[in-house]
Amino acid sequence: MTKPSDKAYRLAVDIGGTFTDLVVIDETGRQVWSDKVLTTPDDPARGVLHGLSRLMAAHGFQGGDLANVIHATTLVTNAIIERKGAVTGFITTKGFQDILHIGREIRYDLYDMAIDLPPPLVPRHLVREVEERVDNEGNVVAPVSEDEVRRAAAELAAEGAEAISIGFLHSFMRPAHEERAEAIVRQDHPQVALSVSSRVAPEIREFERFSTTVANAYVQPLMQRYLAKLSTQLQEMGVESDLHLMLSNGGIASVNTVRDFPVRLVESGPAAGVLAATFFGSLAGLNNIIAFDMGGTTAKICLVNDGQPGVTYTFEVARARRFKRGSGLPVKVSALDLIEIGAGGGSIARVDSMGLLQVGPESSGASPGPACYSLGGTHATVTDSDLLLGYVNPAYFLGGEMPLDVEAAKKAVDGVATRLGLDGLRTAWGIHDLVNENMASAMRIHIAEKGQDPRKYTLVATGGAGPVHAYHVAAKLNMRRVVCPRSAGVASSLGLLVAPPKMDLVRAYPARLDELDWEYLAQVYREMEEELRARLAEVGVKTEEVELVRVADMRYVGQGHEVHVRLPDGPLSKASLGPIMERFQAVYQTIFGRVTPGVRVEGINWRLFAQGKARPLPPLGGIGPASSKQKDAALKGTRAVYFPEYQGYHTTPVYDRYRLPPSVVYAGPAVVEERESTTVVGPSGKFHADATGNLVIELG
Amino acid sequence: MDYDPITLQVLWSRLISVVDEAAAALVRTSFSTVLRESNDFACVLLDAQGNALAQSSISIPSFIRTLPRTVKHFMRYFPPETLRPGDVLLTNDPWLGTGHLPDISISKPIFRNGKLVAFSGSSGHLPDIGGKIRSPDPRELFEEGLRIMPCKMMEQGKLNEFLFFMIRNNVRVPDMVVGDFMAHVAAANTLESRLLALMDEYSIEDLTPLAQEIYQRSQRVMEESIQQKLRPGVYRHEVHADGASEEEPIIIRCAVTVGEKNIAIDFDGTTPQVSKALNVVPTYTYAYTAYGIKCLLCPDIPNNEGVFVPVEVTAPEGSILNPRFPASVGARALTGHLLPEAVMGALAPLLPEAVLAPSSSPMWGMNLTGFNKNNQKFAGLFFLNGGMGAGAHHDGNHATSFPSNLSNTPVEVMENLFPIRIEQKAIRPDTGGAGKFRGGCGQRVDVRLVSPYPMTVGFMADRTKYPGAGLQGAQPGARGSLLINGKEISPKDQLRAEPGTLFTLNTPGGAGFGDPAERDAALAERDVREGYVTPGRAKEAHRAPSRRKGPQSQ
Repeated sequence: MTKPSDKAYRLAVDIGGTFTDLVVIDETGRQVWSDKVLTTPDDPARGVLHGLSRLMAAHGFQGGDLANVIHATTLVTNAIIERKGAVTGFITTKGFQDILHIGREIRYDLYDMAIDLPPPLVPRHLVREVEERVDNEGNVVAPVSEDEVRRAAAELAAEGAEAISIGFLHSFMRPAHEERAEAIVRQDHPQVALSVSSRVAPEIREFERFSTTVANAYVQPLMQRYLAKLSTQLQEMGVESDLHLMLSNGGIASVNTVRDFPVRLVESGPAAGVLAATFFGSLAGLNNIIAFDMGGTTAKICLVNDGQPGVTYTFEVARARRFKRGSGLPVKVSALDLIEIGAGGGSIARVDSMGLLQVGPESSGASPGPACYSLGGTHATVTDSDLLLGYVNPAYFLGGEMPLDVEAAKKAVDGVATRLGLDGLRTAWGIHDLVNENMASAMRIHIAEKGQDPRKYTLVATGGAGPVHAYHVAAKLNMRRVVCPRSAGVASSLGLLVAPPKMDLVRAYPARLDELDWEYLAQVYREMEEELRARLAEVGVKTEEVELVRVADMRYVGQGHEVHVRLPDGPLSKASLGPIMERFQAVYQTIFGRVTPGVRVEGINWRLFAQGKARPLPPLGGIGPASSKQKDAALKGTRAVYFPEYQGYHTTPVYDRYRLPPSVVYAGPAVVEERESTTVVGPSGKFHADATGNLVIELG
Repeated sequence: MDYDPITLQVLWSRLISVVDEAAAALVRTSFSTVLRESNDFACVLLDAQGNALAQSSISIPSFIRTLPRTVKHFMRYFPPETLRPGDVLLTNDPWLGTGHLPDISISKPIFRNGKLVAFSGSSGHLPDIGGKIRSPDPRELFEEGLRIMPCKMMEQGKLNEFLFFMIRNNVRVPDMVVGDFMAHVAAANTLESRLLALMDEYSIEDLTPLAQEIYQRSQRVMEESIQQKLRPGVYRHEVHADGASEEEPIIIRCAVTVGEKNIAIDFDGTTPQVSKALNVVPTYTYAYTAYGIKCLLCPDIPNNEGVFVPVEVTAPEGSILNPRFPASVGARALTGHLLPEAVMGALAPLLPEAVLAPSSSPMWGMNLTGFNKNNQKFAGLFFLNGGMGAGAHHDGNHATSFPSNLSNTPVEVMENLFPIRIEQKAIRPDTGGAGKFRGGCGQRVDVRLVSPYPMTVGFMADRTKYPGAGLQGAQPGARGSLLINGKEISPKDQLRAEPGTLFTLNTPGGAGFGDPAERDAALAERDVREGYVTPGRAKEAHRAPSRRKGPQSQ
């Protein structure tokens, strides 16, 4: 392991579907450099190396100067969505070969009778049953038939399986059967990638556990090849530091951990964006934020409380219908609790069968894109409306690299207006307002599900369209403040550099608290702690720096939803019962506003979170001219901008974000332009640039 | 006030989000597994006349149009001028509510500046309502639990203590049941505060003009759809099901009269009401009939009163679809789930592209009560499903709930809840009806009782004698069966089972669509490779040219 402190440069790489973003920070010089290259799907490492050599050439540093390299990627998600993973087999308990293929037996859309349910990653002919059975308390009902395991593995290998997953009933209560089967398969087929359910997702509910295990196996060979290749090629470029990866939970982990649990990477990229928003919020002294990232196709939203992004333990990947809950394959990994809405700059406006306006979730994407791109798109989109409303400057889109066609936008929006029987301007505002309403609605329900109030949060807006829409979205939610971080284009990658080493494990042990075997639970926690300490050591965390947090999924007996309760620190014993109950009731009260005395409480899953310290970023300076107090220095001019308060266009000042002097307060209405985006401030807002480069808007 | 189409859409989206927010509060605080995991609930916002403006997005079909009727009944019992802020109204009467006692319906009048402007409404399944365990067994409503006629469960914010004293002492799990009542109150309060904030923000004094606009537009879409997709005439269909016993099969006779702009569905000739809990009150008859129509004609429009104005449903009084009090109704789903099939069967000649061949409907369920090895009492219910029917362009899904949307309970969870061991849960090959498109397969679930004590077991199951018929030359799905230690039994009887007993539940398959001889060779080959069809059966089913038509069950 290298000593990171000797090196001055840090590299973050985020491989997305279209672009690979790279950011380098020079800690000594306090410089941030970034580059964007096309993703190379056939060999993603190539794009990374290409971008890195460009950055090295442009800024004169060497591979050996990099103290660390942190990486986020959508490769895992894309492999599952595009079904490009390994031929995968599944070995399970006799009698239960169809758990994956039966699923939950429900439909995600009630009225669509030709509904497509997402097919499992393992076809039915690659599922094998073996004699074995453990009961719900972990007692052996039937031992594992080693001969049947051997035969099953041989058959699957003969069918061409590159990966084999193993999932037995109740294995989280007694992993021995899965472990024995794993040993047999490994011995006979050392080249095959192996995933077992009691390690990948040791939670109760067999369908979700097996689905996760199978997904892990499915992407394992691909990720192993990719990681080996990338590591080698980085070394060839002189990079001596280890490669670390961003997990879905917003923590960074070693290559070794990712090789074992590649499925934990499903939300790797989006997690980085949330960490960046959290980081920029903290620079402004804000710990309760809603991270709001609005791009071309989707908007992503995450609630951050006390500086901690929300975490979820159930996730869906590869949805058959993109924005429909329940249409994907369940994956039980801890992930930042993001909601994704079909609302972006490219979202298409149309008139439905009732004669009403609808916006999204269909999107014109980047190509052909909105009508104003002049790339062949004819549908009216959100960006076309934003252009007509004066929010977006046709001559300064992407800093002027891409002139926008106002006439084309007008023609497209007028088409919708005619069908609605309204004028073009009313329709343009309607499209803007409705897409905002769709996002605000999704936020409202998400916030309600957490038992919170939107007014306690600040909206932190990123993505090309985020700052354009943030003011009006915040107004709909009665939020008082919006923050637009600097350089939206690379903000997400900066999130990688502020991520702490972090990993969590879970073990199911369903038991009523008054009947719990505390010694067994303590043993479960000891085992998890040992593994987590070893995993964090791989990313350079010293054992005394590891922070541990225990959390239990608890509920009243008879309920099906659990709440997550942080357990008291210190040894667990019968004496913990009282304090745990108090904490459970406090959490329950927060979320639901009441408790139900008299009903007993049970614990289902027991989680352990381990975290090291993030290496701090050097302080970032403001981006405006620090010396100037001249308000007008930043004024670029004025233009007609639509605000509903004026019921029409209003001559509105346009400011250059890069010239805003820090801490000088401006009044709305205003438009603030920067390369990657435009911030819109309504008539009752006030705004200023702060010392760290954030743009802060206070709503009136 | 007039609403332009953009303002209307923004406001309506907002109203649906208000209702969904209330639904989130209800779902998360509820103790009822069925409510929560199977969305067996609805939250509705109604205008001051009791017409529904917006309904929670994820509710199952049982609640289509029930709450507006319930709220109108409330207004009969408690005229608007007698209502006060903080009042909460309640009933679980099957005829006034949703069709069986475990569903409560709750409504809160919402006032703004002293004026009644709206009602919140919610219905949902309780963990228990006393009476016999849920099965087709009860002969009269009185056996099925506590019946609460319309009353104020809260009066100006004050809880009716005596009512709750009564309820607590008539149910098996009082804390959970009372907890669920309070969950509905929490949902009502959420809806109230969000609605009032919205009315302030947009300066809306009266919701009625907004409601009218939404209804009219929705109604027009339904009417246009009827005009464009259907042809005037009378279309008939019959569905046969096992019914209460060997002697009493159920026959649903359905006549769909398509007019210029409306549809009237009448069930004249349907089986009279029975002395088992298979009877369906008119609101539930309406809900599942209208569901079938909505799937066919305008699946995308959010539920509201207007959509259903052109759809009339009638059934003769005293029939199983319009029973007289005190008919028992607890297992109404076994009959009600057949109604979408009846409607689709009738309209199949007009809409061959849109209809679905019969699924394995109704849902199946198993109910267990007794004592576990630690002498603790347990009581509970789990569901399982058969195959869905095929359509004109797609195979039916295997083991998938239709027309309801009830999920299974995981094997590991069942084994934690009840002293049972599931020995098998598997797709039943060859049970999907062969066709150009194949019906979905049913499943087999083997349940072994492992408690040292006997337990009481009841089932909800059907189509053990009458499988759903294939459409356009396809074959029917396989029938279901219920076995006790390998021997077939009648699924409608509640029984006491000894330790070690093995039950086998074989759910039916869905019916196919189109001539099996026309099945795409690649699909047929895939079915054999994946084991949904055995090789022998495949040869038999797709022998070309097929001279056989699928055997008709009716």
